[in-house]
Order: sequence, then structure tokens, then C-alpha cells
Amino acid sequence: MRPASFPLPPLLRATTFRLALSYLGIFTVSAMALLALVSWSTSVFIEWQVQETVEAEATGLSEQYRERSIQGLAEVIGNRANQDLERRAVYLLLAPDGTRIAGNLFGWPNEPGDASGWVRFTIERMDDAHFATEVLARTYELPENYKLLVGRSMHDARRVKSAINRALGWGLALTVLLGIIGGYFTSRHMLTRVEAMSRTARRIVGGDMTSRMKLTGTRDEFDQLATSFNEMMDEIERLVEGIRTVTDNIAHDLRTPLNRLRSRIDVALMTKTDTADLRRTLEETVIEADRLLATFSALLAISNAESGQRLHNFQPLNPAQLAQDVVELYEPLAEEKGIAMACHADPDLSLQGDRHLMFQALANLVDNAVKYTPPGGTVAVTVAGTSSGIEVTVADSGPGIPADSRDKVLDRFVRLDSTRSTPGNGLGLSLVKAVARLHGANLVLDDNAPGLLVRMVFTRVA
Amino acid sequence: MRILLIEDDQEAAAYLAKGLREAGHNVDHAANGTDGLFLATSERYDVMVVDRMLPGLDGLTIIQTLRTAGNATPVLILSALGKVDDRVRGLKAGGDDYLVKPYAFAELIARIEALGRRVTSNQPDTKLKVEDLEMDLLARTVARASRDIDLQPREFRLLEYLMRHAGQVVTRTMLLENVWEYHFDPQTNLIDVHISRLRQKVDKDFDQALIHTVRGAGYTLRAAR
Repeated sequence: MRPASFPLPPLLRATTFRLALSYLGIFTVSAMALLALVSWSTSVFIEWQVQETVEAEATGLSEQYRERSIQGLAEVIGNRANQDLERRAVYLLLAPDGTRIAGNLFGWPNEPGDASGWVRFTIERMDDAHFATEVLARTYELPENYKLLVGRSMHDARRVKSAINRALGWGLALTVLLGIIGGYFTSRHMLTRVEAMSRTARRIVGGDMTSRMKLTGTRDEFDQLATSFNEMMDEIERLVEGIRTVTDNIAHDLRTPLNRLRSRIDVALMTKTDTADLRRTLEETVIEADRLLATFSALLAISNAESGQRLHNFQPLNPAQLAQDVVELYEPLAEEKGIAMACHADPDLSLQGDRHLMFQALANLVDNAVKYTPPGGTVAVTVAGTSSGIEVTVADSGPGIPADSRDKVLDRFVRLDSTRSTPGNGLGLSLVKAVARLHGANLVLDDNAPGLLVRMVFTRVA
Repeated sequence: MRILLIEDDQEAAAYLAKGLREAGHNVDHAANGTDGLFLATSERYDVMVVDRMLPGLDGLTIIQTLRTAGNATPVLILSALGKVDDRVRGLKAGGDDYLVKPYAFAELIARIEALGRRVTSNQPDTKLKVEDLEMDLLARTVARASRDIDLQPREFRLLEYLMRHAGQVVTRTMLLENVWEYHFDPQTNLIDVHISRLRQKVDKDFDQALIHTVRGAGYTLRAAR
């Protein structure tokens, strides 16, 4: 059951759009993970840089101390604190009694330092009471209980870090935005084409069998789909047309004998009173009715073979055995007509098929050959293996079929003999064609010069 | 013969029963599957004619039930389903013969009589004899009035079938199905030509013809009446 109404607009229901959104989601999550990593390693790097600077400065100061003792150190610190107008550097030198000797920090920080002397604390900027800044500093114990603190304001580092984070954030936002816009346009494009296709399909459902899907010429998946669809429609149209022709033909070809049947009975009823006469008419009528029934069975056999429902009856067959049986069955008839029959069959071949249908098809071919070949002629059946499969041929020395009629005679009820003087219902070759098709065989009508050569080529199945 | 006819189409059943009675048979008719199965199990028949599609119980179920119960009465299935696999399914269910509608009455009665007189002996025959015509099934030889007759393998099988059904009418379709073993619909009078060849060998040089044509039905092998 489908929900009666679905609140999403068509675009949001489109598979492509939903696909684009979920890809976008996955991409955003992984991009955010990447950004977090970048941001974290940036701050680690900045901190490390600050520590390097502090340590380098401390090294410089310790050299001063070694060379010029505590007075020299105090002097250098005083100079440096004055030179540093940006006040990035923080110094404090304390006497053993805790009084400040030099530096730009007023008091020793209260925060405890770590084992190697690193301490982190916040100060109010000396020139601006409203501005607080974080300081990373290292403390040193000097001989005679002097204490030194060298540090750096983290202000710049924080600014760099937040600038990087901001840039990353904007980048992410832009990506998401572009993803949504891209997804929107891609799915609208797809939706347009899918809608065009379903419009065409609806037109066909509405009865316009000639409607076909348009191709864009890009040979993309949609074009491939449209091509397959159009091919399918061509086949359906061909079949429908075939059914229409067959129905027309059946109506026409069965009406004639039914009319004949009816008038025969009519005439008998009106004119004949003698029991023997009436009996003869009845017997003729039964024969006529039997012919009609035979035509119906032949039609049924053809449509059964065409619908391909007999595949499960397929079994391994020896085509040579079938050919020999058919030839043996028709041989006396041919002999009666003065026709020589020959069978050349390779006994070591095998194919998958329906035994009874194959026999019927071969019998129809041989029947035709014997029927149309004049006395003194020949009919030959061959079964031979070729490089691609098995070829079964029936050749005669009769009048043959003109090249332009060879396709036509395979249709139902088509008989070239317009006077219809030879017996037959025009269904024999149609059944052969249907049986050949059911067995995946190619049926070819050829010139035997003189006569007809019918070739059934079965492609070998691995 | 006592024949049970299970057929729901009243008109067809009346016509069949009339025809079979005129041919000298005793016919019981059941118009649905349940009555049919009841009659089949409570009475003894020589042959049963069972329509495949019936109200109540379908034909194949009736046959399967009878066979399971050990009832071996020969059954002829009548059906509108004429495809080869329909036929195979019918015979697998335990049917002995299968006739597709529409059929000629002559075909039906020939098949019923063939079924009813079928000898079901476990001992395979080695020799067949009709009048002065003798067939040795082991040596594959045929002789008439002690004169050897030379037959092709197919002619031998054709004559064997006729001899096994001596005195009965054998239709062209029965011959195609049993001698050639193909279910197919010949467009020409093929069987007639084969029979006339066989006649040349079996009857031509003898005063009394054994192979007779039955008009509108088929052939029979018997002494001239």
C-alpha cells in the first residue's frame, strides 16, 4: 500500500537528490573530522613554537647571567622588556627575598607549574585593564635563590588559530552549500529526463503505439535505456501487428470453408430426400469439418510453439534419427509419385529439442517437398555438423519459391498457389518457422536451382 | 463390454453413450467426479472413459485414487488439453490412453475396444498367429501359409501392432502413436500408403485378404467374413 499523500515535493523524493544528500552528509562528517585534526595539530604546533621561542630566550638570558651575573641579567631583561613594544614577551626576575629586580610582570603567578617548570597563567595587559591574555612561561631557579620567569603571550597564537578555524569553517559551509546546489541541479536534470520518459510511456499506455522516447545523442545511461525501450516497443508493435494480421487471416480463411459447409447442408436440406444421398452429404460434411478442426489444431500448435512454453519438454535428440524416421515415413508416398528420396545424416550429432515438434516440422518440410516436386524429381534431407552448429536441410527439385516471396510464405495462411488446387492450409511453413524459433534455429529459404532448399541452422549450445 | 463414462457435458455424454450402446456395449454414466469415483470403486468395468475437467473431483485425481487403491481397470482420458505435457501428465497419473477433444467417434470406439481387449499377461508373447499368418517375435520372421514374407523393420512393427489388435479397428492416429511413436498430424494419407505396401506383401499372393479398410475409421486385421 502506498501512502495516500506524501508531503515531500517531487524533487526531494527524487532518488538522485536523496543520493546527493546522503553523499553530502558523509562528506561533511569526514570533512569535519579532517578539520578537527588540522585545528588540533595547528594548536599543538603553535604551542610548540612558543615553547621553542621561550627556551631560546632563556638560553640567551642564561648566557648573560653566566657572563655578567645577576646585575647583567637584570639589565638585559629591562632592555628587552622596554624594546618589546607589542608586549609579547613576559619577564620577571625575583630576588631571594621575593622582591622584583627586573621584568614587566608585577608578581609571580599563583598557578602551579609542571615538573619541568612550565606554567600557564592569565594576565591583565599592563597598558589596557580590559584586555586579558594567556601567557605560557617557564620558571628557572637561579643560584642563591634568585628566580627567573620567561614567557610569551599566547595572544598572537590564539589569533592565528582562530583565523585558521574560521577559514576552515567557511570552507566547510561553502562545500555543503555547493553540494546542495549541485545535488539540486543534477537531480532536476535527471528528473526532467525521467519525467519525459514516463510521459512517453503514458502516451503509449493511452494508445499511441507509435510514440517513442527521445534520444539526446549523448549515449549516456538514459539514452541506452531509451534505446532499449524503443526496441522493445518496436518488437511489441511488430507482434501486435502480427496478431492483427493473423486474426484477419483466420477470420477470412475460416469463413470460406464454414460458408461452404453451411451451403452444402443447406442445399442437401432443400433438394435431397434420398437417404443414401443425404448420407453421402453428411460424410462429406464430416470430412470438411475435420479439415477445419485440423486447421485449428495447426494454429494452436503454432501459437504453442511461438509462446515457447514447451522448453521443459526439451530433451537431447539425435537429428539424424529424426531425419531418417521422416524420410522412412514419406518414402512410400514419394515412390508412389515417382520421386527419389535421399537422406544424408551424420549420426553422431545431438541437439536439445522437443521430439514431437521437431518431427512435425521436418515432416511439414518433407511433405511440402514431396507435394510440389514433379514425378522424376528428387527430395533430399541432410543433417550435418558445421563449425557453428548443426544444419538440417530439405531440398527438392520442384518449382521453388521466388526470392521475393520467401519471407511471405512463412506467414500464416499464405499460399503461393492462388488456385489452391493442392491440398493444404497454408500453415505448414508457419509451424516450421515457430518450431525453428523455439529451438533458437535460423530458418532460411534458398534456391536449390532448380527447386527449394530449406535450411534450419541450430547454433551449438555449450 | 461394461464401460463407465465420466463426463459432465450432458450433450456429449448422451451422444457418446448412445454410440457406445449401438456398438453393443453396456454404458454407465456419471456426470461429476464424485459420482464417477463412487461408481468406479463399487462396480467392475472393462474400460473407463474419464473426462479430465470435471465438477467435484477432477479426472486425474479419480484415476490416481483408483490406482492407489489397486484398481487396474484400463482408463481412457478425454481432454481438451492437447499439449504433449498435458498428455504426459495424464498418462503419469495412471491413464492408459489419452484422446484430445474434438475427436471422431470412430477414433474413440477403436481406442476403447483396444483398451478393453488388451491382454495383460506378464508372460511376453513370442509368437502371434492370425489365420494362416504367423509372426515369430524372437526370430523377427513372418510367414503366411508357411511361405516366408520379407518385411522391413517398420513394416514388421506395423504388422505386429495389427496382429496384436486382430479383429479390432485400428485408427491411423493409433498407428502413428504406437508404431512410429510420434504425436504429429500428417497432412497427407501417409499411413494409407504404408498399409498398401504391407498389403502388397501380406495379402497380394493369397486368396484371402487379411488387412481390411474400415471406412471412416481405419484398418483391421482379420479373416474375411
